[in-house]
Amino acid sequence: MTTEARGNLGRVLLMVGRLALAAIFLFAAYAKLKPPVSTMHWSAASVNSSLSMFAMQVDSYQLLPPAAVSPVAHLLPPFELVLGLWLVSGVALRFSSLLTTLLLGGFFAVMVRTYALGLEINCGCFGPGEQLGTKTLLRDGSLLALSLAVTIGAFLIRKRRGHAAPSEASPAIQHGD
Amino acid sequence: MNLVTFQAGLTLAILVILGFSGAWRAGAQTKKNTHATPAQTLTDPMKNLGSPSAPITLEVYSDYECPTCREFYERTLRALIVDYVASGKVYLVHRDFPLPGHRFSMDAARWATAAARIGRFQEVDAALYDNQKAWAADGSVEKYVEGALSPADFKRVQKQVDGCLTQTVASVKPASLSTKPQVAHNCAVDTYIQQDMALGKQVPVQGTPTYIIYYKGQKMAPTSGFVTWAILKQFFDSLLSQ
Repeated sequence: MTTEARGNLGRVLLMVGRLALAAIFLFAAYAKLKPPVSTMHWSAASVNSSLSMFAMQVDSYQLLPPAAVSPVAHLLPPFELVLGLWLVSGVALRFSSLLTTLLLGGFFAVMVRTYALGLEINCGCFGPGEQLGTKTLLRDGSLLALSLAVTIGAFLIRKRRGHAAPSEASPAIQHGD
Repeated sequence: MNLVTFQAGLTLAILVILGFSGAWRAGAQTKKNTHATPAQTLTDPMKNLGSPSAPITLEVYSDYECPTCREFYERTLRALIVDYVASGKVYLVHRDFPLPGHRFSMDAARWATAAARIGRFQEVDAALYDNQKAWAADGSVEKYVEGALSPADFKRVQKQVDGCLTQTVASVKPASLSTKPQVAHNCAVDTYIQQDMALGKQVPVQGTPTYIIYYKGQKMAPTSGFVTWAILKQFFDSLLSQ
């Protein structure tokens, strides 16, 4: 395989990894924002109910002080939505993927701590109803590994290009970096 | 096909796959839980508090010997009962789910169920959680039930559990530690507990407390673990303001 072919393969893999992460974050945000019961229609009030329900899952981790639970629960899903869209855009991938890795690393650390403490709670990762256990730990660990690989790939490609690219906003970087 | 179209298509495809897996999971869960509302399956209505016509129903699976269940009762359910059950906003359904490895939780459930059958569930429920540490250490469940009831009511409750209890204070020895809740045969109160446990296995309950919220008859996904009253109240208020 030539150097050029290897480079192209790397870029394709990076793109697939980035879009997979984007889709996962968009889905996670959707699962937390959708109305808690099927008969409820999408509205500002239904989103508020969904975020309040998510706050119950955040609270069950028994990690945050009571005053911080609700703000965190109301900010996290919109943040996941923005991060998902940012990953789809491909703009400044080094930074979006780094932020994704830090976020997933934080989630994973909290989950490991909770599992080690023996708390039998819901994961809350993709909406309600999923028990935290080895399966969810393996899944989130895999996502963290994927995100780390995308971050390293994004930095490596940028390094190889050196300072040849004039700015982050160039078309090649927007869709391939 | 240009790169932008390809990327959009790929993202959409992954989202569709995730959506299908989520829908499948939700569908499987709905199939497992065929009961639409808790009221349809109740055989022991005395273990419920409030009005069945309340817009919100909270169905709680708990174990009297589980420390998180005690926390949940003391710091969340107690306030809920005073503020939202009494005012008709929430209907609280208690389900017994004694866990394996808890020596006295089955007996505690028997006392609570027997008290429920004479309309004294709330008093015994509170007494069991208030004194959990004491009776969980020595098995003296009866003592705290007696303290919560009048002598006449206690006799009526005692009559129901007579012959049902597998572990009394005198018989408890380290060697008799059971790994599974022991169910006595020909014991009426056990029928109610077994039914609660069977319903719990359908949820499925994987830890206690596990609770299911119904809003206007619509069931939500089960949630496990402790939640503070302030956060639960916030969610209920958001539902009630719909």
